[in-house]
Amino acid sequence: MKNNNEVLLEVNNLKVEFGGKKNKFVAVKGVSFNVYKGETFGLVGESGSGKTTIGRAIMRINEAAEGEIKFKGKKINGKISKELDREVTEKIQMIFQDPMASLNERAKVDYIVSEGIYNLKKFKDEADRKAKVEKALTDVGLLPEFASRFPHEFSGGQRQRIGIARVLIMEPELVVADEPISALDVSIRAQVLNILSHLQKERGLTYIFVAHDLSVVRFITDRIAVIHKGKIVELAESEKLFENPLHPYTRALISAVPQPDPIAERNKVIEIYDPSCHNYDVDKPEWVKIEEDHYILANKEEIIKYKEILESKV
Amino acid sequence: MNNKKNNEVVLSVSDLSIKFELRGRSLKAIRHISLDLYKGESLAIVGESGSGKSVFTKSFMGLLDSNGWIDTGSINYKGTDLAKFKNNKDWLKYRGGEIAMIFQDPMTALNPLKKIGHQVQEAIELHQNIKGDAAKKLTIEILNDVGIPMPEKRYEQYPHEFSGGMRQRVVIATAMACKPNVLICDEPTTALDVTIQAQILDLLKGMQKKYNLTVVFITHDLGVVANVADRIAVMYAGDIVEVGMAEEIFYNPQHPYTWALLSSLPQLGTKGEDLYSIAGTPPSLYKEIVGDAFAPRNPRALKIDYIKTPPYFEISETHKAKTWLLHPDAPQIEVPDVIRRLHEHFGGNR
Amino acid sequence: MTSDVKTEKIDKSLFEFAEYDSKNAELIGYSNYSYWRSTLQVFLKNKIAVILLFVVVLLLLFTVVQPYLPNQHSPIKINVDADGLQLRNLPPSSEYWFGTNSIGQDIWSRIWSGTRTSLFIGLTVGIIELIVGIFVGSIWGYVRKLDPIITEIYNVITNIPTTIILILIAYILEPGILTIIIAMSVTRWTSMARFVRNLVIIIRDREYNLASRCLGTPLHRIASKNLLPYLVSVIMLRLALAIPLAIGSEVFLTYIGIGLPVDIPSLGNLINEGRMFIMTPSLRYQLLFPTAVLSIITISFYVMGNAFGDASDPKNHI
Repeated sequence: MKNNNEVLLEVNNLKVEFGGKKNKFVAVKGVSFNVYKGETFGLVGESGSGKTTIGRAIMRINEAAEGEIKFKGKKINGKISKELDREVTEKIQMIFQDPMASLNERAKVDYIVSEGIYNLKKFKDEADRKAKVEKALTDVGLLPEFASRFPHEFSGGQRQRIGIARVLIMEPELVVADEPISALDVSIRAQVLNILSHLQKERGLTYIFVAHDLSVVRFITDRIAVIHKGKIVELAESEKLFENPLHPYTRALISAVPQPDPIAERNKVIEIYDPSCHNYDVDKPEWVKIEEDHYILANKEEIIKYKEILESKV
Repeated sequence: MNNKKNNEVVLSVSDLSIKFELRGRSLKAIRHISLDLYKGESLAIVGESGSGKSVFTKSFMGLLDSNGWIDTGSINYKGTDLAKFKNNKDWLKYRGGEIAMIFQDPMTALNPLKKIGHQVQEAIELHQNIKGDAAKKLTIEILNDVGIPMPEKRYEQYPHEFSGGMRQRVVIATAMACKPNVLICDEPTTALDVTIQAQILDLLKGMQKKYNLTVVFITHDLGVVANVADRIAVMYAGDIVEVGMAEEIFYNPQHPYTWALLSSLPQLGTKGEDLYSIAGTPPSLYKEIVGDAFAPRNPRALKIDYIKTPPYFEISETHKAKTWLLHPDAPQIEVPDVIRRLHEHFGGNR
Repeated sequence: MTSDVKTEKIDKSLFEFAEYDSKNAELIGYSNYSYWRSTLQVFLKNKIAVILLFVVVLLLLFTVVQPYLPNQHSPIKINVDADGLQLRNLPPSSEYWFGTNSIGQDIWSRIWSGTRTSLFIGLTVGIIELIVGIFVGSIWGYVRKLDPIITEIYNVITNIPTTIILILIAYILEPGILTIIIAMSVTRWTSMARFVRNLVIIIRDREYNLASRCLGTPLHRIASKNLLPYLVSVIMLRLALAIPLAIGSEVFLTYIGIGLPVDIPSLGNLINEGRMFIMTPSLRYQLLFPTAVLSIITISFYVMGNAFGDASDPKNHI
């Protein structure tokens, strides 16, 4: 959980656009949130919601059209100094979604894992580098002899762990995990999740977990932000979100998640989200705090409704 | 639900094994499977990548890749052994009209250059012998049936004008237009968002009831399985290791692989604790597998697991599993905590 | 099937727990696939390509070895008979295996000398084209900011007809091997650059390249470790095709009179000389032999190049 309430990452009014002047597509429409040191922050949404774009904007792969991203108080988007660039490269790292596409097929595992420390020259000599690679591989449950092999010799789960080793060797503070288990088999997901959680405990890592699978997110995150079409609609502490989902989109998302219980599933009634249920013509929505650790995007009319629902539950 | 006694067998697979030739070596993708499919049921085949679930069902329609072939066994459908078919012509009578299939990616299943209405109509004209305006009318009815709003207007549109979920509905419409007996769905919702997935599964269940279809679902998602399946077959390394009614598999699983599969679900995990996970990867199918294929990854494997392949042991009339743990001489093993909790937590609903 | 196994007597000791080593679990997923080995295997399956490969290798060896064989004539010596008369247009004989040309030179040795020259030019141009093309193409494709600038340069160069550029260069510099190499390189690097650029654009945004950017990998290492290895198979294909194309260009240039000077034998020169006799059946051999050699080289490289291109496509590694 958030031990020291120290803000590691601040995202303020982030806006990300794609395409030229003619066919501009706004993927992220003004998103703001904080990530505290040591926590696992979940960014949940369906395809096209913009969650991956936010993750990539934090990694500076995508440019922010407006707004700012601050790491430990310093702005990291836009043009930054070489020292800050180096610090950010070291301290913020990313785990990618597709283990088949995120490793260089023509390079040995040894090079893939060492790539970051080669760039930042974070090792004393060849023996030191080799030792670091070995440690990174064993930390994720792989055997050191795998270093001399090529990615195609491994399974999806092993490749994803190589991707994690490559991140670990940099000794980062913040890790953006972009759907790290969606492309893996069910039984392998548990393995990778366990590794991620161990590493967090051992090294005090902070995760931003981007996902579309709510069931996974509930299990590993401390706080969750639900994203719909480029805007955060609800942000709450994980358990609170699942116990009291207020925004209709969150409710639809939660009701649609399949549970491994045949009888419950057969009797389930799914809620469908219809964006026209909001009337935002006159009464514009704002980002408000509806209860402790629970924020929502709503207009005045809806706030009244939500507060009533909360009170009736108490 | 669908009791074995009352129902006729629609498709019967017996001792089926399928081999592939890859880079000069042969591998056995399906290792002597026997399975019966009953009329009107929905059977889910659950397995991870490499288990052979797609290959298995593709063999029912003669859709194996050119470097694969049926080595032994038979596939009996309405008195004919489909495994004996040699060329495409034999299959044409069965594909679509008798057994139809829908795939994972709706974008690549549809012709991007043809109006979707024409694509559905083509299936009608081929399989139902209705042409022209009558066919078009029927097409619009089917499009309506699968939940596409304003079907007359959307008849004239192209696949790229539809969202993922809508496209999958069109694919389902095309399959239903053939009026099949058996519908095989190969991961039909894996590429779709969770909210759309729920709607498509509802649609498929509705179609099944309305037309008394026999549906085979292939998936790796146990939540989807819980939603749609009457009966479940769990596949591992080219073999069916456990098969039973949905409640039996979820509330009383017997095979260590099924335990592992269920236990590793995050929905069942306790926050702050490790999830149960299985080490390693599925075995290479190039080598002949001796004994139980799951043994190297099973910390509680028995010595005999490395020597002899276990037979099916029956737990009930509808539930059986291929594991030596069910042999009378086997030691008592505690069911993993997670499974026990599943049993208690959900079993109470029975 | 279940019943007979059950009644079979199984030793109770087998129902004890076996030793479990989690390491074994990690190792069983190993696959032994090697990209280059599979490429070679698929290539070798194409019998025609393999035969032509042999033919080309033999041809190459022969062009090198030929001058050192006994009884070879000089390719430029004008042969005269006892009276000092030029031995012109002699048909193939035991003395002059391919006959002599219109000024009395031995065609056999001229062909081999000419093949040497043409191959040398073809190979040199091919390699220059490769190096410049890859270098420019990678930067062009990878660095987004340079894309519009280099595209403009490319458009300008390619819009000028190559023939005009070639003629200009031939006028400015004296005709010779170096001139022709320069002329062809200047006009041919553009298509390789464009080709490489298109490939780079396709792979530029793949996740493994994004990962490298996140790790702070500098451009030159991305180019050499991430991009180049994927281009190698394609590049070798293009190189194999570039050689016959370059030779063909040289032939064409000589045809239109701006190629190599007559005193340096090349396939272009020989074909040019031979074409004058196309209407004279008894002298057609002077056209036939160089044309045959050119055809063999062109077809062989072409077939081999395509076979290699197919073999290096991972989809064909079955």
